[in-house]
Amino acid sequence: MKQLAPYAEPSDVRDPPTHAAPTAPPGSVIVAACGTLVPSDRQAEWQAEWLGELAYAWSVRQLGHDTPASARVALWLRALGALPDAIWFRRHYGGDSMLSQDLRYALRTLVRWPGFSAVVILTLALGIGANAAIFSIVNAVLLRPLPYASPDRLVFVFGTPTDGDSAKVGRSSSYPDFADIRARSRSFSQLAAFSVRQTTVTGKQFEPGIVSGAPVTANLFPMLGVSPLLGRSFSAEEDKPGAAPVVIVSNEFWQQRLGTNPNVIGSSISVNGTPATIVGVMRPRFTFPGATAVWYPAGEPNNPQARGQHSFTILGRLAPGVTPGTAGREVAGIAKQLEAENPGDNAKRGARVQSMTEAIVGDVRPQLFVLLGSVVLVLLIVCVNVANLFLARAAARTREVAVRTALGAGSRRLARQFLTESFVVTAIGSVLGLFVAYWGSKLLVSKAPTSIPRASEIGIDGNVLLFLLGLSLVTSVIFGVLPALQMSRAMPIASLREGGRGLRGGMARRGLRQALVVSEVALAVVLVVGASLLVKSFWKMQRVDPGFAPDRMLVVQIQLPQSRYGGYGDGDRVRAFYADLYRRVASRPEVQSVAVAMQHPLAPGWTSSFTIEGREPPPSGQEPESSIRPVMPNYFRAVGAKLLRGREIQESDGVGQPGVVVINEAFARLHFPNEDPIGRRINRGSWWKGMPASYEIVGVVADERFNGPRAPADPATYFSLAQFTFNDNWLLVRTKTDAQAFVPTLRRIVWSMDRDLPLENVQTMNELLGDSVADSRFSTVLLSLFAVVALLLAAIGIYGVLAFTVAQRTSEIGIRMALGAQRSSVLRLVVGNGLMLAVIGVAIGAAIALVATRFLQRLVFGVSTTDPGVFAFVAIVLTAVAATAAALPALRASRVDPIEALRSE
Amino acid sequence: MRPTRLTLPTAMVLMAVSRNYRYGFDISDATGLPSGTVYPVLRRLEEAGLLRSRWEAVETARSEQRPPRRYYTVTGSGTQAVRDAIERYPTLDRAFERPAPSPSPRPA
Repeated sequence: MKQLAPYAEPSDVRDPPTHAAPTAPPGSVIVAACGTLVPSDRQAEWQAEWLGELAYAWSVRQLGHDTPASARVALWLRALGALPDAIWFRRHYGGDSMLSQDLRYALRTLVRWPGFSAVVILTLALGIGANAAIFSIVNAVLLRPLPYASPDRLVFVFGTPTDGDSAKVGRSSSYPDFADIRARSRSFSQLAAFSVRQTTVTGKQFEPGIVSGAPVTANLFPMLGVSPLLGRSFSAEEDKPGAAPVVIVSNEFWQQRLGTNPNVIGSSISVNGTPATIVGVMRPRFTFPGATAVWYPAGEPNNPQARGQHSFTILGRLAPGVTPGTAGREVAGIAKQLEAENPGDNAKRGARVQSMTEAIVGDVRPQLFVLLGSVVLVLLIVCVNVANLFLARAAARTREVAVRTALGAGSRRLARQFLTESFVVTAIGSVLGLFVAYWGSKLLVSKAPTSIPRASEIGIDGNVLLFLLGLSLVTSVIFGVLPALQMSRAMPIASLREGGRGLRGGMARRGLRQALVVSEVALAVVLVVGASLLVKSFWKMQRVDPGFAPDRMLVVQIQLPQSRYGGYGDGDRVRAFYADLYRRVASRPEVQSVAVAMQHPLAPGWTSSFTIEGREPPPSGQEPESSIRPVMPNYFRAVGAKLLRGREIQESDGVGQPGVVVINEAFARLHFPNEDPIGRRINRGSWWKGMPASYEIVGVVADERFNGPRAPADPATYFSLAQFTFNDNWLLVRTKTDAQAFVPTLRRIVWSMDRDLPLENVQTMNELLGDSVADSRFSTVLLSLFAVVALLLAAIGIYGVLAFTVAQRTSEIGIRMALGAQRSSVLRLVVGNGLMLAVIGVAIGAAIALVATRFLQRLVFGVSTTDPGVFAFVAIVLTAVAATAAALPALRASRVDPIEALRSE
Repeated sequence: MRPTRLTLPTAMVLMAVSRNYRYGFDISDATGLPSGTVYPVLRRLEEAGLLRSRWEAVETARSEQRPPRRYYTVTGSGTQAVRDAIERYPTLDRAFERPAPSPSPRPA
């Protein structure tokens, strides 16, 4: 062994000088880790030298002009040099160099079996990468705290029906209720309110547009602990009625519409027709509430109806020491007082508290956990498969191991060798997996439905890397230990003597490998059952009759600003505009039909209360509700909704004419179960001048599934738009050929009537329909993908085991055939072997799936999670796959030439 | 003492130390070589007896609230090796025209 040159001076003691470091400089972790490679008698000295340099460099850089981050990175990079240095030390002075020997041996083995290595590394990369990609979503959406100050103290105060009838009382509150709760409660250090409204913005610099706007109380941003990137938040004065209008714009709005102008603060844009001064630009990716583009002060409403307009959501920060439970009891008490004080508007209106995190991510949690669970199953199958491959290779290496054992390698030494090999393979697989995860999560985010909250935060961060590291460690141990265990039990002398066939060892190994294949099939069954359930439910969802014909239909919302068009009791200009628009669009040769309606057939819209004339009116506040859906004449014919009885809304149902209404089937079923509704009247009060209070039911129409395909339609009332006029309506155009091709013409028509009307987001009805099932499609596609991968891997596993068995039993098969066995019976033998594995696996898997699919309960529609058809289908598919996988080795076995087989003995 | 091959990195490190760049990271900065190259070269040169290393005075380090650093100097036979290096890589000398930035260390 080489010796370090002796130190020349006695003052140069071998022991490094001691000191107390104030804080460890960046990169010390690397030095500490690499230090373990350095022979122990030199470790302390070696570390002291590196730490000395790092600490000095850190102290110098802290004085210098480097930013802390770049200085940190520079030191980390520099500390990486400790690795070659440590390896150098180990090679020159290290007694025990087995680790590097193992490493080199492992790498040589990798290169010697290139096909094997490639398959193993790629499956691992895919398995680990897919896991990390799904985990990156779970991490961003569920695990990472919300990006606000102390997010665990933020709670929503939601309205809640005291009698459990949720249709009547929604989660939002009225501004006066909010003000009262704020004044009376003690549980909150702050209480803010916000709403979300479609907002028309116009300005000199950009095209007019409809964006998502949020009226907020001034304290919302300080309460969340966020401040604008430029400018300032709202002041308390700006929240008061009569204050000069101000607005804060989102970062995206600033970039896309205001040209990222740094001097934008103080300039003016028009919000809902009113000029407002821009006082702030928000930070990038600040998405609360939702993808809001402009925020403006809510301002306390001073009209008497405000108590009944429940359009605000209340968000609060719990006071120190207050639990959500205490706060919940307090707001429930206040709600009771408010109900007593305002028996009409607040009838049955309770209040409850829910943590902000839960409210935002609670709905997607089951979906994400199912995805994470399935992708973990995929990884398990990958591990089993790789373990199987390793076992097969171990069998092929019996002689090599026997020789090494005979030369004195102990079983622990061999086990270490195998673990090193599995570790090297996993390490390479994990690095590739990181790329898979990176691209995978990008792909997932681009395909994810908009209902997945916090999608903008998804990415690879420290948590994901840690998860990946843990995965690869666990993975490498799982499939490294098995062959190592097998090997340590191998009998070297016997296998050397038997010419490498190792009969008994081979049998035991085959047993283990068959067990692995069975478990692989079982896992695959669970995944395929889950995926099939989702596919079947998705198929059912697609087949739900939406109640209208969505093909070749364009959908666009047109909002007429009140400042120029009047409306709400002064609706002449609004009615004239839509009538003109209707005429102009309908006259185009490429248009088949046109409809104008306040809600399109997939918009749930909002509800309002009514009474049925001739019946005892219910107590105040308990009137039934129905969806309000005013339409222009010929709506039902144009959208393809089926009129069941009576007539459509017609041209004659105009202003000043008797009020008429068409109801949907759900309405008729609920309110007129055993009588003919035609000719009956409902009264819903007149909201503004010239509007009838009482409406005669003139028709019944089949339900449009406006709540989406999964939920039944609520009772709905289709009024004549001329008698119940709103400024914001949807234009639905069915074209004769390609709908998309009509978009430019449509824009030209609208802009020829009013150049300042925003006309964004022209969609086809099929796109909207697709969006309504996007959630289900996302999980269905992903889970199906996982299931296909699982099936493939299971097939490979079965094939591998049988091919190996056939190879091992060649001489036995040869003897059988020499003794008169038919080829068909050999074929049966091998295929039977494969089928047996599959059947056991299917049985076990089905039993697990019966329990596991319960987690799918909330994701499926119209299918029982124990659907016998699905289970039978999966059993058949897996058995078929197993038979196919067994066919190739079986054919090979049946072609065994008995003479050849016996000669090789 | 064993002979060491005078590769370009070895020559650069040797030159750097002879030009008063005495600490590992400073040598790395002066030569532009990564620390993972510089250190093994330093080890080899020290082993060959061309360099020798000492710890800087504990008081200096303590006054700056950091652990002491290790520094390297050229030995007698190292001086001859520096001349060999300049002979073999004549342009090498120009890279180190400016003096070392760090103050001369005091032995402990």
